[in-house]
Amino acid sequence: MTRPLPDQSLGPEWTILELLARGIVDDPERQLARELLTSDTLDWGELLEQALRHKMLPMLAHHVVSAELRFDLPTSIYLHLESALEWNRWQINLFRTETARVAQSLAENGIPFVVTKGMTFESTLYAGLGTRHMNDIDFMIAPRDREKVLNLTKELGFRPFYEWAKDARREEISSRLNPDHLPKLAREVDQPGIRMIQIDVANSLTWTRSPFDVPVEEALENRVEQPVPGLPGVSLPCFQPTYQFLFTVLHLFREAWLQKFVDFGTDVSLMKFGDVIRLFDQHHNDLVDGELLRTMDVHHVTDSVAWVLRHMDETFHTHAVKSLALEKHGDEKRLAAQMSSSGYVRASDQSMRERLQSKGRGSSRSAAPAHSGS
Amino acid sequence: MDDITIQFEECLRRHLRSAKPTAINYEVELVQLGLDSMTAVAVLLDMEKTFGIRFPDDMLVEGTFRTAGRLKEAVQLLRARKAS
Repeated sequence: MTRPLPDQSLGPEWTILELLARGIVDDPERQLARELLTSDTLDWGELLEQALRHKMLPMLAHHVVSAELRFDLPTSIYLHLESALEWNRWQINLFRTETARVAQSLAENGIPFVVTKGMTFESTLYAGLGTRHMNDIDFMIAPRDREKVLNLTKELGFRPFYEWAKDARREEISSRLNPDHLPKLAREVDQPGIRMIQIDVANSLTWTRSPFDVPVEEALENRVEQPVPGLPGVSLPCFQPTYQFLFTVLHLFREAWLQKFVDFGTDVSLMKFGDVIRLFDQHHNDLVDGELLRTMDVHHVTDSVAWVLRHMDETFHTHAVKSLALEKHGDEKRLAAQMSSSGYVRASDQSMRERLQSKGRGSSRSAAPAHSGS
Repeated sequence: MDDITIQFEECLRRHLRSAKPTAINYEVELVQLGLDSMTAVAVLLDMEKTFGIRFPDDMLVEGTFRTAGRLKEAVQLLRARKAS
């Protein structure tokens, strides 16, 4: 199925980012991106700000470099984008080596685990071009291994790290009371441009006290090995497509619905939707063969998955809901009834597209927008 | 040791929407008074600030604040430790 070009009602800057997020795959999309990027009226300040907010600066940079727009852009902006891309590639290389180091230790100690999110997506969904932004390295383990992994990572030089949060003590207490992750861990490194490497170790596909869940032990039984670019002979375990897709979608659902992510301004983003779009495209045949739907049904996550996919389809003109025959699922009122405490975002009549574009998210800003009523 | 009841209950009322202004039932579970994952963090932070204490890691578990009675005992214990 072809996708229509994005409507440009939210401006050329936003259209460029929507195109990049869903992936530019054909000539009309390439042509539109070129026209918008070389327009005299393009607001580069707005484009760069939104690219940063949505963690898409390296992706934007790669596009302008590969489309050979060197002499069509303001020179200072082009050079900045070029160096941002190089820096991202440098960080990814460092992260790959560090991931392999931690993974080796976990494997040697017999701990079942997978690497998730950016580190796996960068090489599989983003072709290893260095365009996927990463804050940290993500792992998933079983809850029973929390203490063992905490001790192992200490031996590897990591320590709990809360200083990234505005209120470190609040974050520390929150982390202890919500044991779906280990405390954020960091290791200081002596590398140009990188002060420390952070790892984020989850032990749940959802969150503490979630009304639904996919057992992490079941997901960890379904692993595949993935090679690491630039490290010959090294591979990392990651989820097989069904669980990779479920985790990624449920993660986006979690960040869309939990108030704390809105408070931090780290809830929904174009990049996270872009991950889901690419996962669905790349594993389409695996995902529509029935196993995914059965797994969703068994673990009562059909509504939450359908909610994410419907918002994705409405925003990016994809066709995931129809492909999976989920039209009757994802009712927002039913989900809101399950999640009505103050820890969850309350519904509003704003569309997901408007929510994504809004800069008014985060505790230091005005009231947080929420979900579309659809 | 000073009686901390008034300060303690004021602290709870600041965060629990269902806590009555007159009397707080020390036996009822705090979730029934409106405690959830967000307010639990806020209550503990406020207790730390109000009483100049710090909950150690092994007390940052649900059992510590299951009821107002349990939480008050924890606060009193930490105040006593601090004073000794």
